[in-house]
Amino acid sequence: MLGEIYDFELGTGFQEFEFDSIGPKGVIRKVVQYSETNLKDLYNLGFGDKDNKTNKINDLTITNNGDSQKVLATVASTLLVFTEYFPEASVITVGATLARTRLYRIGISNNLDAIEKDFHVYGLKNNKWHKFAKNIPYDAFLVKRKR
Amino acid sequence: MKTKRKTPKLPKGAKINPVLDKYNDVVLFPEKLKMANHILKTVGLPKI
Repeated sequence: MLGEIYDFELGTGFQEFEFDSIGPKGVIRKVVQYSETNLKDLYNLGFGDKDNKTNKINDLTITNNGDSQKVLATVASTLLVFTEYFPEASVITVGATLARTRLYRIGISNNLDAIEKDFHVYGLKNNKWHKFAKNIPYDAFLVKRKR
Repeated sequence: MKTKRKTPKLPKGAKINPVLDKYNDVVLFPEKLKMANHILKTVGLPKI
């Protein structure tokens, strides 16, 4: 079971999700989007902050709002909803920076038992996909819902 | 033909907001999508 998560909203197409991170830096709007890639049934997970004033999306910053576990558990929850709506989908995600990729790895590691109940999880290392293992740095991640 | 999909039961605290549909045709993370497509093209998919 995932840990505590934020309430979130989603579009009617089940591909756009938003929620608020609440912490010492204030309320920061988070955006998750599942975009179609060039391969059928393969979607890219994009995740970043929305500037409250300009509405611009930034996926390069580390927010440091003291709630990264809750934020990543919320993203994992959107993944569950997305793949219930698109059960045939695989999802790939690549961190925009090394720090982001590391954050994703930690997020997957911390929720691995819960995630592996529903998903096959892979990490990309040395240009090969491997079954995800904790404490190994990967360049990208791919999940596919178990049937 | 568009696949008719079954709407899943949403977790507590999740709600549909049609305002978010404004992003339907917008790629919000184009660089990540580009990176993902590059990986898929050069490495392919894992054997599941």
